[in-house]
Amino acid sequence: MTAVIERDIELLEPQPDKAPGFLARIPRPSFFSWIGIPALVFMALVFIVPLVVILTKSFTDPGPQNFSDAVNSGIFRRSLWTTIKMAFFVTIVCLLVSYPYAYAMARGGKLIVAVLLGALMLSFWTSTLVRTYAWQILLNNTGVINKTLINLGLIDEPIQMIRTNFSVYLGMAHVLAPFTILTLYAQMRTIKPELEQAAQVMGARPSVAFLRITLPLSLPGAAAGGILVFVMALGFYITPQILGSSRDTYIGTAIIQQVQVFLKTGVGAAESLILLGIVLLVLLVAGKFIGIGRILGLNKGE
Amino acid sequence: MKPGFTVKAIGLLMAAIFVFPTIVVVGTSFNASTLILFPPKGWSTKWYQEIFTTSKWTDAFQASLKVAVLAAIIAMVVGTLLAFTAARGKLIPSSVVTMLAVLPVVVPTVVAGLGFYIVAVRIDLSGGVLGLALAHSVLGVPYVFINVLAALTAVERNVEEAARICGASEFVTLQRITLPLIAPAAVIGGVLAFIGSWDEVIIAGFLNSPTFHTLPVIIFGEVRSGAEPSTSAVASTVTLVSVLMLGIAAGVPALRRKKLWRKS
Repeated sequence: MTAVIERDIELLEPQPDKAPGFLARIPRPSFFSWIGIPALVFMALVFIVPLVVILTKSFTDPGPQNFSDAVNSGIFRRSLWTTIKMAFFVTIVCLLVSYPYAYAMARGGKLIVAVLLGALMLSFWTSTLVRTYAWQILLNNTGVINKTLINLGLIDEPIQMIRTNFSVYLGMAHVLAPFTILTLYAQMRTIKPELEQAAQVMGARPSVAFLRITLPLSLPGAAAGGILVFVMALGFYITPQILGSSRDTYIGTAIIQQVQVFLKTGVGAAESLILLGIVLLVLLVAGKFIGIGRILGLNKGE
Repeated sequence: MKPGFTVKAIGLLMAAIFVFPTIVVVGTSFNASTLILFPPKGWSTKWYQEIFTTSKWTDAFQASLKVAVLAAIIAMVVGTLLAFTAARGKLIPSSVVTMLAVLPVVVPTVVAGLGFYIVAVRIDLSGGVLGLALAHSVLGVPYVFINVLAALTAVERNVEEAARICGASEFVTLQRITLPLIAPAAVIGGVLAFIGSWDEVIIAGFLNSPTFHTLPVIIFGEVRSGAEPSTSAVASTVTLVSVLMLGIAAGVPALRRKKLWRKS
């Protein structure tokens, strides 16, 4: 008997919640449906059309062999490997440095939070180009770091830092770490400090409390930030171009080279599509597990 | 639990590393010597005098400013319209609108830049303010869209309903109630779009011409071929403009709130 009543209630229940009454009360003007159309047309014309043009170029200028040309090009194949390796290392570095920073920001006192947030924002809003230029000044053979080390008598000859993987990884991590820090910080703010305190009351050392409580609870934020940084690193052009060795070509450089140096727009278009394909694939696969909205930071409004 | 000493120390060290490069660029721009030295040897503002009087830099400054302002205005209009459609419209599923609005974040700039380049050359929009502003505006749309959408979902429907009950028409409700409530979000989105355009190198490089280039394109060229203290001065000025814009964007809503408080 009770089971039947419960089922009946279940059947009845959704109805009062459903919108009709609500909708009748508030007139939802179809106006809002229509004003979006010019904006959607604008986006289609200015953003989708260029992407479609890349697609057609890659298959018709001169033909689909652009893709085999791209894949068979030694430069492009090596650039894929170089770029993925770089993106991977940069992501790891960003995550490693983000944990202490985000933790201090989420749990620190007012003063330290203000200092850390201020430094982060100033860096974040200094453009990639300007920061990369700064690293060039710092890492040059005659640059600030080498000169200081020589003046201190620590080294005799300048250390080759610029135009190495080291300088690229450092510059990239410097540009991209704010993204992992901010996602990780947002995630850590949702973890109640009481949880850590409880663990410590039960006798866990601070490090154990962190490893067993904070770390696992913060992993979704770390994953989202890490994926975002990985995907952004794949398409980077400026930093590898200025700080990297001329022997190492990255995907962005390979594409621009095909178009502007070899004047093979079709092959460049094919390579662009391959890059876009990798980016979308990573986002879709990762999005299945942690949600695209979370990776792109779209959940703020919800 | 409070962060321990080590965590704080690492955090502060990293904060220093975050800020140091910006300080270095600003420092080298005040060099008295013609070499890029840090700490600078002797202080001088001659590089700033140079960049504000040389037509190469002043022309690029104007071009950058025109492009960024136009791009920000277009992004504000388009992004706000899309946010209204996603939040309130019923004609097109909001997931489709959202996807289209945030797609520019996902597509690598090199790829989008190549697309803009091929199209702009074909329809003769390359090498001018309008073409680059259109391209940059699309990159700014996601910022405006996300901010305005968040503001719209936070708007209490009761407030709009109250206006309607008091006899305001749909249009007046929108104009007097909804738009003022979302305006700060749209402005912040617009400022982010402005900075995105102001700093952008890759697309601006694709769409430049011998007579039309923006500041970042010239800076990039000089950094690759050999920078001078004047490059640092321009880079510092570019950064200062970005930071000032953000300061204004962050300050305006707070000021407005203060004013409202005083009135009531």
